[in-house]
Amino acid sequence: MSDNPNTPSTSENQNTAVTTDFGYKQVDKSQKASMVANVFDSVAAKYDVMNDLMSLGIHRLWKRYTIDCSGARAGHKILDIAGGTGDLTAKFSRLVGPTGNVTLADINLSMLTVGRDKLRDRGLISNIDYVQADAEALPFPDNSFDIVTMAFGLRNVTEKQNALNSIYRVLKPGGRLLVLEFSKPTTEQLSKLYDMYSFHVLPKMGQLVANDGESYQYLAESIRMHPDQETLKGMFEKAGFEQCDYKNLTGGIVALHRGYKF
Amino acid sequence: MPASALFSATIERLINQMLSMDPDSAARLKPLAGSRFVIFVTPLPFGIELHFSDRVDVLTTQQPRDALIASLTAADCCIQTSLDTLPTLKDTSQLTRLIQEKKLNLDGELRIAQQVSALFQQLDIDWEEHLAEHTNDVLAHEVFSAGKRMHNTLLTFTRKLSRTVGNAVVEEKQLAAHRLAVMHFNDEVSELRDDVARAEVRLQKLEEQANKN
Repeated sequence: MSDNPNTPSTSENQNTAVTTDFGYKQVDKSQKASMVANVFDSVAAKYDVMNDLMSLGIHRLWKRYTIDCSGARAGHKILDIAGGTGDLTAKFSRLVGPTGNVTLADINLSMLTVGRDKLRDRGLISNIDYVQADAEALPFPDNSFDIVTMAFGLRNVTEKQNALNSIYRVLKPGGRLLVLEFSKPTTEQLSKLYDMYSFHVLPKMGQLVANDGESYQYLAESIRMHPDQETLKGMFEKAGFEQCDYKNLTGGIVALHRGYKF
Repeated sequence: MPASALFSATIERLINQMLSMDPDSAARLKPLAGSRFVIFVTPLPFGIELHFSDRVDVLTTQQPRDALIASLTAADCCIQTSLDTLPTLKDTSQLTRLIQEKKLNLDGELRIAQQVSALFQQLDIDWEEHLAEHTNDVLAHEVFSAGKRMHNTLLTFTRKLSRTVGNAVVEEKQLAAHRLAVMHFNDEVSELRDDVARAEVRLQKLEEQANKN
């Protein structure tokens, strides 16, 4: 059984096509950003609650593992793209200390506002900057950051390869990029179970808790349209990253991709 | 599910919860702000990093120890030990002995290791007070008084039982020797050892005399 009627867009055809995927729908490239923005405007307030509910809290462990692999140290400059409600930023802020800096960037103002309020409520103010930015055209100078992270954000970007190129530009030589994103389960059984959960349970849960089933239908579809582990690794390499690898988490439901700029 | 992340999350929650229960811990945590303490415990397949700020962040590292040591700064300390030795680290005066016995490898700032040890050693948690926040003073007092009474009763019972079993084994059933008898036997063995040593010396002298003649 497969609920996926399409194949994921590859990096090659993303740049030449006029349309792009928005879940299973094909939409004009110029429209995707605003459509994604609508989704996140709608879910921003309940984003954290829904994440906990949908993943049974496991998303916190995936994010923690990402931080473990980041090698973040006192004094580092870190860019957390699509940082949303600031889960990674909160921890990075303490790890880099007063001599370092974390920039929380998100294209969506609603998410950025929720994130900023949450972090300020926790007393995290001194070393965090908030920037509304498009991952495809990051508004930072070349070689600015020691670490760039992107957790559950890349699949919403219209031109993923452009985003990776842009990240490569702002990373310092020796810096690393970590992308945590939904991926392809490694076993057929898990894949079937996961499909059933995402297409039948998730939208209903979204409707019940966030009063927005459609956004969670989009979430399930966008996950299926996202490049698989090997394709994304190839895109990393195409952007110029070296020593690229990935680690499947929870049977490949999520994968953490890592690449270095030398 | 990444097991290492679950492990570090549990440890982190536990440590910060304990520290928050001791109002004096903030003062001990302050000099550690910005420091990193890394522990490699055999047989764990990963290292554990403690990052200090106004709280403790626990990370795991897959980096090999040698590579990690190369990246240590003046605000870092890294130790490698085994699970058996870990409880001994409570006593900071034992650190030098453990290093000499190669049961502990320490790289970086020793001061950080001592401050980390002090942070946890000097934890003083008023459990009764914390329970009272969730129940009330009377109930918390009663629970702890009952706990102390039970502890004392158990202690007394254990001592009595130990005495009774001891008497039964030594006096009644005579399955083991009495303490005084063992001491007497030890003394006799010592005397015998001395006699043998003296006899050996005399024999040596006699042999020497016989050889001369």
